[in-house]
Amino acid sequence: MLTAVEIEALRLSLQVALVAVAASLPLAIGVAWLLARCEFPGKTLLDTVVHLPLVLPPVVIGYGLLVLFGTQGPVGGWLHESFGLRLIFTRWGAALAAAVMAFPLMVRAIRLALEAIDRGLESAARTLGASRLDVFFTVTLPLMLPGIVSGGIVAFAAALGDFGATITFVGNVPGETQTLSLAIYSLTQTPDGDAAAARLVLIALALAVGALYASELAARRVRLYIGRA
Amino acid sequence: MKLPAFLLALAMIWLLAPTARASDAAPPVTVFAAASLQDALETLARRYREQTGRALRFSFASSSVLARQIEQGAPAAIFASADERWMDHLQERGLLAAGTRASLLGNRLVLVVPAARALNLDLTPGFDFAAVLGSDGRWVTGDPSHVPVGRYAQQALTTLGAWPLAQTRLVRAENVRVALAFVERGEASAGIVYETDARASTRVRVAGVFPADSHAPISYPFAVLARHDSAAARDFLRFLSSDAAREVWRGHGFGVR
Repeated sequence: MLTAVEIEALRLSLQVALVAVAASLPLAIGVAWLLARCEFPGKTLLDTVVHLPLVLPPVVIGYGLLVLFGTQGPVGGWLHESFGLRLIFTRWGAALAAAVMAFPLMVRAIRLALEAIDRGLESAARTLGASRLDVFFTVTLPLMLPGIVSGGIVAFAAALGDFGATITFVGNVPGETQTLSLAIYSLTQTPDGDAAAARLVLIALALAVGALYASELAARRVRLYIGRA
Repeated sequence: MKLPAFLLALAMIWLLAPTARASDAAPPVTVFAAASLQDALETLARRYREQTGRALRFSFASSSVLARQIEQGAPAAIFASADERWMDHLQERGLLAAGTRASLLGNRLVLVVPAARALNLDLTPGFDFAAVLGSDGRWVTGDPSHVPVGRYAQQALTTLGAWPLAQTRLVRAENVRVALAFVERGEASAGIVYETDARASTRVRVAGVFPADSHAPISYPFAVLARHDSAAARDFLRFLSSDAAREVWRGHGFGVR
């Protein structure tokens, strides 16, 4: 069915995408909160920066990550010298690239969920004596949850599919950074790789369709909640 | 609201109108060439244009990518490959114009390191590749599964006994120039590229030259493609093997037959 190399690429893809989404979720919630609930100078700038990965060529993002997070870059160099941590050519760098590309999608979904919450419910909780933190964890977050799940799943699918940023930043290292997209790319150029490439394409398709379907189901629950609230 | 609309219409017309050129004679000859030929070919194209006024269009990439694109119908008139195998690939499929295939150039395979690193190695069987990489370093070359430089690199390292270790630390680049860039940036501890690429860069230094008998002879076949055969294409191909052109090839470090 699938060769060892292909299974490796699939497992790596899933691992990288999961790490990417899990690690950036808290930040995404924070940023979505800022954009939905707060007014501050530079808000439009933040909004623009967050959405850049959606409009910039992925190779540009990858190049930016290379310059910043490569072992010769300011952040990457510091990480390498202080902790011996290397991002380039590793799965953690691949997760970073995927996370950056998927971030705007997560933020958008969570922000939408936040904006749909009835502030009256939160005010009611405050009048009943709940602290702000309490309100967040017992009222806001549960109402946000379907949006978080939906955003997380879409981000997962986007992270799975990233190519340009990944290959520019962390290169093509089978077993470390060769995710599904990179494996398919390599195979389409290898003389007899078409059959293997086709298999991986079908798997990638199945994963993407599955993720989008699950995301849509989660989004429907949001609408149900809004209806009830 | 009349003026803005008028200006917009003008802008649209300017963008969408086909561009007319002064000497709108023949369409430019499209050349698909291996990435390592880029600098020399661009120089030669400039000379050719000065001499004949004819413009050329280039696409530089790994020979593997280009050969596959040609196979799928890409409109190239000339193909310059970095190894015979990819030219054979097209010849087997009857895509070459008969009698136009010729292998003019050779090259050498070198091990490069970032320029700041002072390293000189004798690349002989059993040489210490692990020392070159360090404990967690990686090296880079074109993907050995299809890129010519990667294939030569795998052959050379296998002959010298370093492939089993090397294979586990390899970063596979799409073409030799991407590999060179990783070494230039200091991200890869070492790389295997052509001597001509090392010469073209000031940010890498050659740590050693692979013995010519450790890998298949590096040979650059050129040919005109049957589907876009033209007098202009054949003329440029002739130019590429002229005495003046040979000077340029040698100047860039290519071996010339």
